[in-house]
Amino acid sequence: MAVRASVEPYRPDWRQGRVSSWITTVDHKRIGILYTVTALVFFAVAGIFALLMRAQLATPDQTFITKNSYNELFTIHGTAMIFLFIVPLWAGLANFLLPLMIGARDMAFPRLNALSYWLYLFGGITLFLSFLASGGASKSGWYGYPPLSENFFSPGNGQDLWILSLHLVAISSFIGAINFLCTIHNMRAPGMSWMRIPLFVWAVEIYAALLLIVMPVITVGLTFLLLDRQVGTHFFIPDEGGNAVLYQHLFWFFGHPEVYIIILPAMGVISEVIPVFSRKPIFGYKAIAFSTVAIGFYSMLVWAHHMFSVGLPNFLNIFFMLSSMVIAVPTGVKIFNWIATTWRGNLIFDTAMLWALGFIAVFTIGGLSGIFLAAFPVDWQVTDTYYVVAHMHYVLFGGAVFGVFAALFYWWPKMFGRMLDERLGKTQFWLVFLGFNLTFLPQHMLGLLGMPRRNYTYHEHGLIYAYNLISTIGAGIMALGLMLFLFNIIKTTRTGPRAVNDPWLGDTLEWYTTSPPPPHNFDRLPYITSARPLRDLRRRIEEVRA
Amino acid sequence: MPPPVRRKILVLVLALGAALALVAVAYGDNGGFTPPDAKSRNADRINDSYLWISIFAVAILVIVEGALVWFIIKYRRRGRPRNAEGPQVHGATRLELIWTAIPVLILGAVAAFIFYKLPGIQDIPSAKAQGGPLTIRVDAHQFYWQFTYPNGTISIDEMHAPVNRVVRVEIHSQDVDHSWWVPQLGGKFDAIPGKTNETWFQAEEVGSYKGKCGEFCGVLHAEMQARVVVQSKDAYDTWVQTEGPQNLGRGEWIGVCAKCHGLAGRGGYGPAIFNNGLLVQPDALRSLLLAGQNTSGGKDEYMPPVGLGWTDRQFRSLEQYLETAIYKGAAQNGG
Repeated sequence: MAVRASVEPYRPDWRQGRVSSWITTVDHKRIGILYTVTALVFFAVAGIFALLMRAQLATPDQTFITKNSYNELFTIHGTAMIFLFIVPLWAGLANFLLPLMIGARDMAFPRLNALSYWLYLFGGITLFLSFLASGGASKSGWYGYPPLSENFFSPGNGQDLWILSLHLVAISSFIGAINFLCTIHNMRAPGMSWMRIPLFVWAVEIYAALLLIVMPVITVGLTFLLLDRQVGTHFFIPDEGGNAVLYQHLFWFFGHPEVYIIILPAMGVISEVIPVFSRKPIFGYKAIAFSTVAIGFYSMLVWAHHMFSVGLPNFLNIFFMLSSMVIAVPTGVKIFNWIATTWRGNLIFDTAMLWALGFIAVFTIGGLSGIFLAAFPVDWQVTDTYYVVAHMHYVLFGGAVFGVFAALFYWWPKMFGRMLDERLGKTQFWLVFLGFNLTFLPQHMLGLLGMPRRNYTYHEHGLIYAYNLISTIGAGIMALGLMLFLFNIIKTTRTGPRAVNDPWLGDTLEWYTTSPPPPHNFDRLPYITSARPLRDLRRRIEEVRA
Repeated sequence: MPPPVRRKILVLVLALGAALALVAVAYGDNGGFTPPDAKSRNADRINDSYLWISIFAVAILVIVEGALVWFIIKYRRRGRPRNAEGPQVHGATRLELIWTAIPVLILGAVAAFIFYKLPGIQDIPSAKAQGGPLTIRVDAHQFYWQFTYPNGTISIDEMHAPVNRVVRVEIHSQDVDHSWWVPQLGGKFDAIPGKTNETWFQAEEVGSYKGKCGEFCGVLHAEMQARVVVQSKDAYDTWVQTEGPQNLGRGEWIGVCAKCHGLAGRGGYGPAIFNNGLLVQPDALRSLLLAGQNTSGGKDEYMPPVGLGWTDRQFRSLEQYLETAIYKGAAQNGG
């Protein structure tokens, strides 16, 4: 005990309280948990916004919420889900897991780490408080195209607060990314070469590199917009010599890599979960690692496929069609390799595995609908309709959020030292899986039937009404499932079974330490000789026993 | 554990499929499984491209989901101990190369088909026999469409076009981004201020085709709908020469003003204006329509500058219509 106390850093009394210790913490695990919990709260709020929108669209000519409120809801729903939920949630999980997975004591820059969390929190609060601004929150959509987002067409301070909140979150992500990169590059355990780091770490590496490259670009775009609104410049005002399309380029040069910033860590999680619950090594470690790098690279060359209807020159449309199709190839490699990993395995259907398999099932649909959107003449028909809404939710919800839950069920025991309830977890999975498909599958059809996105109502009865109603019912089922997760947390926090070091017979280093890990993470480390140090260790123990 | 899982998947898939099939059949449509029936060659070729991609997409979907479900069923634990390992296969380079190459070939086939169809979708036919395409200028405004015909006739929200004639659509915006989209006559093209886009159609049948604004443009985006009325050549000529110009004032009221202020001007999203003296003060009205209103930054004090780019005749037509049909005078204020 005396030895243990001596390795604890000195802390004055005022930093040891239940609240003050969390506020002043620079421990990567605690910051990771702060991130995760905060992101889940924003997820719940933005999810409620989505439910309100679905309620409004359940029947034609509904007046459940006003036009302006509807526009605020979808703007803040999109912004919050992207900037305040999913990207920071990965930052949280990466924060918690990265040092553990590579055998490090902490992140490279612990104080910077704390700063990036607090910037994120205040950025998020700024966004939600913008509902109280004169004229309400931003109403110009999550990508805030000018001239609509310019002062004249969007009066009031909601749009300005939207920009400022994104500034805070962007700085947070930027310095977080520097921290991740420095940690991965400099703090790996002895023997952990690049071909031995967990695939989730590969994903975080590319996640961070992309954030580092694209966050400054969106920040520049938003700053120009803020100057237009507040200082009287005219970067994006055509009447005064500006160019409205410039903003779209700046935005989507960030916006498309952002999709991969969101999905790559989820793919990393799947690459961790599938082998463990198949009792096999990942099929083609190198192929998956390099496809992650390839996706990261190509993701910066496809942005204008969001702008096919803008009227770009033909050669650009063709270039962006081809580059968008190219990016499907490494994505396909991942899917095939995951499925091959399950081949002849010993598949254990714990909740984390259900989410991972569910990810493959639904993400494939999102990937395939993406090919239609990449073919730009087809895109001219379906872009900016519910088809796109369906596509992106298959990728971002069916992909990223399924990955989030796979990660949470898998690593929860490590983070909190308690097992989540498997029965509740599985019920949650099936409810969300059913609700998700009911919600978003019919939206493909809605788009093809001609329903544009971002419409606060529709006047058509018949098929459009039917699909909308199904979609709303699905959203309700999904919400029910997600509420079970909250119930699961509440139920198991105090009374759940305690987690052992390695409840799933994992492969990676984080399972070597206790659950939850001590502040210094590891007392000692095994020398790393492969990408699966824990399995090596188990086998060595068996050999010694035999 | 595994059998109930399998049953659940089966029930799920069946329930989902049955529900969707039922609604689709019940309304006897294409069900939203393909883009709407094309009535112009460019839209038709887009539909061909859609179907071509669908062949590959459905095949890949069946193979991937099939393999996934098959492996899930076949390799489930079935009472084996948790720590029983499968064969420790680390990969198979040849196999991985094959499933990298096949998608490349499929995408090549998709891209090739698009290149083959592209000129027919994008290039405006020269239509020499018809004396060149008929150009109709589209001006997108918050929250209405304005169409200007070669002879200067203007209509609002309702485009008239002759059947079987190549129509070149020249798309402009007067305020924010919009997107011109009539699904049965082709894809979307954005209306962006400071930029001119063009597209075309050649309607094969007389009829009325619905269009919607495709790019979010503000509070009444959902009401920014267009209609393309395709008529016989004679009917079109009559309309563009006489009927169109006569109905301009009424069209402007319905398309430009009434969406917010109500058909009788008794208020809706915007305030009641039927007794507002401004309606009969041409100069003040004009400056309001040109400048819009954006006073206190509150939600409901915003009025778009709906008159941007209007001709003198447009203002006069509206003024005339307001005076005769809408303005009820201050005397009726109490009633």
